Amino acid sequence: MDRGYMGKILMVDLGSGTITDEAVPDSVYENYLSGLGLAARILYDRIPAGADPLGPENVLGFVSGLLTGTGSLFSGRWMVVAKSPLTGGWGDANCGGTFAPAIKRNGYDGIFFTGISEKPCLLYVKNGRPEIRDASHLWGKDTVETEELLRQEFGHHARVAAIGPEGERMSLISGISNDKGRMAARSGLGAVMGAKRLKAVVLDGKKRIRVHDRSEVNRLSRMCNRWVRFQLPLGPSMVVGLLGTLLRIMPTAMAQDGLIYKMILRQWGTGGLNQMSPEWGDSPIKNWKGSNVDWPWRKSKSADPDLIKKTEEIKYHCHSCPLGCGGICKMTGKYSETHKPEYETVLAVGGLCMNEDTNSLFTMNELLNRAGMDTISAGATLAFAMECFENGLLTPKDLEGIDLSWGNSSGMIAMLHKMIDRSGIGDVLADGVKVASRKIGKGSEKYAIHAGGQEPAMHDGRQDPGFAVHYSVEPTPGRHTIGSQLYYEMFQLWKRVKGLPGKWPFQIYHKNSKYRADESKAREAAACSSYMCVVNGAGLCLFGTFLGIKRTPTFDWLNAVTGWNRTPEQYMEIGRRIQTLKQAFNVKHGIEPRENRLHDRAVGRPPQLEGANRGRVVDIEKMMSDYWVQFGWDPSTGKPTPQTMERLGIGTGQR
Amino acid sequence: MPYSITQSCVGCQACKKTCPVTAIHGERKEVHAIDDSLCIDCGACGRVCPHGAVLDRHGNPCAMVKRAQWKKPRISVDKCMSCTICIETCPVNCLALSPAMHLKNPHGYPYLHDDKACIGCGFCALECPVEAISMITPQAAHSAGQSDGAGPDV
Repeated sequence: MDRGYMGKILMVDLGSGTITDEAVPDSVYENYLSGLGLAARILYDRIPAGADPLGPENVLGFVSGLLTGTGSLFSGRWMVVAKSPLTGGWGDANCGGTFAPAIKRNGYDGIFFTGISEKPCLLYVKNGRPEIRDASHLWGKDTVETEELLRQEFGHHARVAAIGPEGERMSLISGISNDKGRMAARSGLGAVMGAKRLKAVVLDGKKRIRVHDRSEVNRLSRMCNRWVRFQLPLGPSMVVGLLGTLLRIMPTAMAQDGLIYKMILRQWGTGGLNQMSPEWGDSPIKNWKGSNVDWPWRKSKSADPDLIKKTEEIKYHCHSCPLGCGGICKMTGKYSETHKPEYETVLAVGGLCMNEDTNSLFTMNELLNRAGMDTISAGATLAFAMECFENGLLTPKDLEGIDLSWGNSSGMIAMLHKMIDRSGIGDVLADGVKVASRKIGKGSEKYAIHAGGQEPAMHDGRQDPGFAVHYSVEPTPGRHTIGSQLYYEMFQLWKRVKGLPGKWPFQIYHKNSKYRADESKAREAAACSSYMCVVNGAGLCLFGTFLGIKRTPTFDWLNAVTGWNRTPEQYMEIGRRIQTLKQAFNVKHGIEPRENRLHDRAVGRPPQLEGANRGRVVDIEKMMSDYWVQFGWDPSTGKPTPQTMERLGIGTGQR
Repeated sequence: MPYSITQSCVGCQACKKTCPVTAIHGERKEVHAIDDSLCIDCGACGRVCPHGAVLDRHGNPCAMVKRAQWKKPRISVDKCMSCTICIETCPVNCLALSPAMHLKNPHGYPYLHDDKACIGCGFCALECPVEAISMITPQAAHSAGQSDGAGPDV
């Protein structure tokens, strides 16, 4: 079978200790691809309605993509899936590193866990031979220590996905770590792994991944690599920051080409936007109530990309990535090195909390990575606590003497330690803002910025309403990695997919038009969601796809690897099927899609009085409804209609 | 079809010791067998068998090749994109990533760090999308036109 996928999954029941191989019919790959699509089908079928996310019935899956390990570039992403304890619905988290090919090299497209182990355990798979082992000696260890110990035990080339103490303590904002600190962080899936008492998954496999037409795959990869290598001198990072200022001042916006962002990523990594984003209003400041006025140049300079780059020892490439946006940085203090703080981390524990202490960014980054906690949600929770403190909802006594004034980095670090240990007030905050605001009460909900329970990332929907839409409508609410108006411009899907609204290169338009809720915006948003379902089924990286569909040839790679001869429109239909199945999963588990709407403050209610997004209000209800219509879901409830389910072959038992 | 072992096997266990995925089983002085589900077609067994008892994917007998003559990867840093596909695909983990070259080029590059472990399977060269790896016999002069009796199939 030379189609890029391995054709089977591993099912592990941790309760009884039984391990079974299951063949997956070709029709599943043809209808849902691998990766996220395969996982959606399995989780929809096998998790009973109303199952407790932290109970034995929840299914936790680790899946790799259809393109992973086939020679196509940017294909080193793996996904963790389960019913999310944070949102109560579909949960997935996406991560790079080295784990994705290891799943396939053991002969599986996915590894799924059910049940709850009596004792802490780990799954070790060597060349397709799985066994459950005791992990009591690792319980309580942080993610980096765990990985180091496991590599000593199983060899340096063993690939590890592990939870830290946060996952063990079932913090609802905990993630799963790979390669010493790259996190599948979102949706709180670390807690699911912790609830199953599964400390780690260790993989060491060398099976071949066979593809239909390797020379064509390689030809496409070489073409893509030429674009990745195209790099103009960008000068000091200040230039990028000033570009942000320019974008803010101009009354018009410009359709952006991802090649520019690629160059920023190549030079600085995601942190290249640390100053640019707050400047043009893309980063929320001071728990979403501030603006660039509160976070001016002199403050954002604390996260100057050049400053962070100076500490970088080596670029970090995920598997099959020619770009290398990551890095390993040296740092002072207890630990000597850390993964380069990503943009999201820097802004979440920086601007969102008004923290201008550069060293603390590194400290908190490593602290959170080791604890196995989502930096976005942790930063957002700290910002929430700081605003509660400012308004007297949390008193110094409640905080046990910790000073959570805006920007007090030592107070933030002390509070993070408490959250990680779940001691005192830390226990209240360790499950994210929604749970914390429920426990604190006193009207603190108005400071708890979330969508459907998950804290949105560091991209402001008041600057790009596309983000607000995707935070609100995605089956995993609060995610920034699926779509926005900016992403649509960079994906350039109209160049391959017929019928999508096109844009001229560098097309100039008035900023006001971004806020107009019309049909074309909805079509663009739906296209982003569908395309990202294909991308996550293929296991590609979002940053690769930013190059544009012609330069990162997702559809052509899929055809070359599988031998299918499908049109881009057919792949987009698969994307719609996966998205609808995920939404149907949510409906099955009692989620009301309307209730996932982003928090009022984050959509400009009330509108901001100053800064880049002054006066901006997003007509989110109409945008959500328009989006649902595009998928054939009910425009008032957001639930997939029986006709749509039937048309996509979801509800007819097709598997 | 994976590799297989014929009845001319004398059970010397040379292949069993060399196989990187422990796909070969059999007692000393008995005919050995290859587990289809584990074999990755690296061809190492064929290159070490002194009796020509190993058949390749196409059913052709493999010729023994002296270890010193096994091809080794040569990596062109100019073409390499540091994607680490080769390191991950190597069945004996003989490739590693170098430290960053210098400040202007902060990327690491793969290199053959365990020369003795290399089994000359050529998977690294096969899977490198940008053709940065070529398989070279240590005495390159002899390598031209000489088949080693085994090699990866696409």
